[in-house]
Amino acid sequence: MDAHFRAFSFVDRITSVRNGTQIRGHYAIPSDVDEFPVSLVGEAVGQLAAWAAMSALKFTHRPIAGLAGCIEFPGGAERGPSCPQQLPNGKQLIEPSCGPHDVTEDRNVRAPLSTPSALRESNSAAQSWSSALRPRGVLELAANLEEVDTESVAYSGTAHADGRLVVRLQDCLGPMVPLADLDDPQALANRFDLLCGPGAPPGGFRGLPPLALERTAGETGRRAGATFQVPPSAPFLADHFPRRPVFPGSLLMHLSLQLGAMLASELSAPASSRWGDWTILDMKLRSFIPPGTVLELDARLKQRSEASAILAAEARAGRELLATARLALKAEVNS
Amino acid sequence: MAVYPKIAEIIAAALPCEIERVKPDASLIDDLGAQSIDFLDIVFRIERAFKVKIPRGKIVEEARGDLSAAEFDQRGVVSEAGLQRLRAFLSEVPPERFASPLKVADIPRLFTTETFCKIVIRQQRAQSAPADPKPA
Repeated sequence: MDAHFRAFSFVDRITSVRNGTQIRGHYAIPSDVDEFPVSLVGEAVGQLAAWAAMSALKFTHRPIAGLAGCIEFPGGAERGPSCPQQLPNGKQLIEPSCGPHDVTEDRNVRAPLSTPSALRESNSAAQSWSSALRPRGVLELAANLEEVDTESVAYSGTAHADGRLVVRLQDCLGPMVPLADLDDPQALANRFDLLCGPGAPPGGFRGLPPLALERTAGETGRRAGATFQVPPSAPFLADHFPRRPVFPGSLLMHLSLQLGAMLASELSAPASSRWGDWTILDMKLRSFIPPGTVLELDARLKQRSEASAILAAEARAGRELLATARLALKAEVNS
Repeated sequence: MAVYPKIAEIIAAALPCEIERVKPDASLIDDLGAQSIDFLDIVFRIERAFKVKIPRGKIVEEARGDLSAAEFDQRGVVSEAGLQRLRAFLSEVPPERFASPLKVADIPRLFTTETFCKIVIRQQRAQSAPADPKPA
């Protein structure tokens, strides 16, 4: 099946465009998709902004992920990877589909998830909690373009599900590249007309392939490292982008949040609390990440108070620094 | 708000690098390793911090002054007249950095911390200058 406008496209319909700068739309999350991480909700907002920017520039240029001053996930983000599996080579394989293990009242320090019973216990609690984080239904998307030209687009935006704020993006900047380098300009223009008209048929997204981090050296409560190999091929690569497949920045964010969550799970939160609201600060994507790239991810504790923490995250390929961000988390009282 | 300390702080935060390395005459690209995304980031942060607008490409446009595009550069290489204009406009840049021939695309390599300070001050003055009165 042709992956174009299906495998990694998260706007079904554009409901309004005002002054070329305020755009509204929605996306129906396919009900049969197991996982729809909140980082993809952020991707949806970015894609909506991109449609407005491309239209404003008559489909000569399109923005790519670049800078995000602040991305808020009220109520939390991916809180994996609490089900690490021990590999024969001694490394741990972390499946990002699981949630974290929570701090219990009678322990201030999390036990490492190295025992099967600990894994099962955290898995079941985490999965029920984790599923609550995964938005379902229709995402109501909104984006406001503050400035757009052939060099960049500055924008902010939100996504709501069932009236609840899921993601807020602020102070985002997307560098522009010639559209023809990434995709077919006419196909994009036609797609825009479709989205502004009857809308695209839902259900194109069939889910993500497993995105497993492989844990490497770290220091409990202070640093976590992992490696990840971008698949050489995958449906989402064919849609991002057809003429130049690159690993989406939102999926890199997804992996970084997973690693950050793993490090956070090693930090004691206040009694009767767990790490709640997550915010990404000053995310910067420095270059395209081609298929097959081996990424080295790192998360380090930079600041800590009783009820908050800031982690520094980065992604490298060899010596090349590909992306950086800070992850801010706050403890919230268990409900 | 004092301009230089804030600019230095912004550059250090954006790259990122130790603020001690952000000296007035430090070239953002050659000395501090800035990439094109960092320039976007720095300008974006400056605009928010100082409430000014820095139109993209304006720096080179202002450096050109009253020279036409054809007089300023030929086939992407800055002319002698263009180099003279650049040296005067970017007076904060050590003269030995104006290598000849200089490609237009390499002009950003000349930019220093002080260059951005001057941009901000110019924009602040332009934005606070009274509008020209309309003819009666």
